[in-house]
Amino acid sequence: MATEQFLIAGELRADSFLPWIERHIRRLGLHGAASWRADGQVEIILSGPPDLIDAMELGVSLGPIDVWVETVGRRPLANTETA
Amino acid sequence: MSGDPILDEWYPVALVSQLGPLGRDTRLLGQPIRVYWGTDHQPQVSDANGRALPVTCRYGHVWTCPGTPSRPLFDIPEADQPGRRLVDVGVVRVKCSPLRAVENFLDIAHFPFVHTDILGAEPHTEVGRYDVQIRDEVDEVWATKVQFYQPQAAKSAAGGITTEYMYRVPAPTVAVLYKTCPPRPGEWDVITLFVQPLEQDLCEVWPWMALFDDTTSLTDLIHFQQTIFVQDRSILENQLPRLLPLDPGMEIPTRADMTSIAYRRWLKRRGYSFGAQLVAA
Amino acid sequence: MTAAWTPVALARDLPRLGVMPVCVDGIDVALWRSASGRLAAWADRCPHRGMRLSHGFVRGEALSCIYHGWSYGASGSCLRIPAHPDLEPPEAIRVPVHRATENNGVIWVALGDQDNTPPALTGLVPLRSVTVQARAEVIRSASGLAIGADGIARGHLASIAVAVLMQALPEGATVLHVLAEPADPAALIAASRAVEALRRAAESKGAA
Repeated sequence: MATEQFLIAGELRADSFLPWIERHIRRLGLHGAASWRADGQVEIILSGPPDLIDAMELGVSLGPIDVWVETVGRRPLANTETA
Repeated sequence: MSGDPILDEWYPVALVSQLGPLGRDTRLLGQPIRVYWGTDHQPQVSDANGRALPVTCRYGHVWTCPGTPSRPLFDIPEADQPGRRLVDVGVVRVKCSPLRAVENFLDIAHFPFVHTDILGAEPHTEVGRYDVQIRDEVDEVWATKVQFYQPQAAKSAAGGITTEYMYRVPAPTVAVLYKTCPPRPGEWDVITLFVQPLEQDLCEVWPWMALFDDTTSLTDLIHFQQTIFVQDRSILENQLPRLLPLDPGMEIPTRADMTSIAYRRWLKRRGYSFGAQLVAA
Repeated sequence: MTAAWTPVALARDLPRLGVMPVCVDGIDVALWRSASGRLAAWADRCPHRGMRLSHGFVRGEALSCIYHGWSYGASGSCLRIPAHPDLEPPEAIRVPVHRATENNGVIWVALGDQDNTPPALTGLVPLRSVTVQARAEVIRSASGLAIGADGIARGHLASIAVAVLMQALPEGATVLHVLAEPADPAALIAASRAVEALRRAAESKGAA
């Protein structure tokens, strides 16, 4: 298990994006949530198996048709969970 | 001056070596076209109104563009390299989106299951990390450092070896594969898939090769490539939805699908939608 | 909805380790049978990249997609992703599962949650399945068979008592799954020929 932060930049204005992300998180069986940041980027905090976090990056890099994702920045977060 | 990203691309519409005296009536992007020999003994292409379309003959094929070409036909420098055999494979018609045909050609994870004991075999199914980028300076998709275990890399090879591949998408309906070449270390064999989009869900596929291989007969080379593609056809005609989704919300792409996703992103950014499905379904 | 069970195949036409495409109310279904004989009816689409699972292969108690070998176990959940052999797939990656059951040699599928069971066909044995290019009502009127309270067409073909189960396909075609009373082989062959004659009659009537 790993926990990561994604910072997504691009043309993201669409209202559809956050629900799309949260649906895709569930489809992959990951735990996480997405939110808008003040600078217009979307932040996702995710935890799950590394291969599935990679899959999430891939899915979100294409995203819904009304969104253009330019970059997905990934940063590992300190893993506080030991269970 | 069409400015339409779909119309302004180059498309393969015939093999020069197989264009007969009567020419070829075919379709491109849902419209009828005609390919024929002009009075100057060069292939020509005209649309339903008799308007002459731009023509380029290269890599064994006749290429045309229904709009105004946004750039010259892509370059495959290896095509001019001395010592290579240039192989016109022929045409296979497939009831699928032209974009799905390209996407499948970019995929290695299916080798053990679709091209069993030829391009792959269980238990060697793992897809390692490789690099994928959209190269802005040339506006092409490239996948490099792709490695995969291949049970019979060449007719002469006794056992399996790990083969290295590079993939390149220089135009929306064209994929070029570079594959390590056992007889010539340091060189790459080139195998291409030129796709003629007839309709959004119907295409003709023209594989073409530039190989260092002086031993295999032409018939065997063509037969091998056609065998591979007939196996792929059984996949391509049975994927849902028929069009290629540009939203992966109904699919589960994983790291092994990186090239597929990069290709779809590139199509999306270019606004290339012929054969694509914009909303997940 | 009471008639929610659709007859999709004769049980003998789906051996162990077999998988076949069937259509239920216009929905594509992959019907398969495991090594131990367990029957399953799933959405005919791999969640990975949309390949039809009915083109896949069965090993043991799992169905695998022919495209990239993703395999799915009894509950429809993904067991293995061959490109990532070290990954244990999450429960969330799964194929939608429908209900399937087998009685009197017929396989039935229901898309919804059904409390009821398919109609009983005791005393009959499977004869054959045949696809007819005509709608069910055309076939019924061509056959002269009566529709019982259970919605099943019954009557006689070549003097043999039969029950004819009808499965609608898209674009106006129908699959007939025919059961007959036990009889000697010659009589069953005659009944089978009568089914073929019924097919021709219904198709010419439908075309007229």
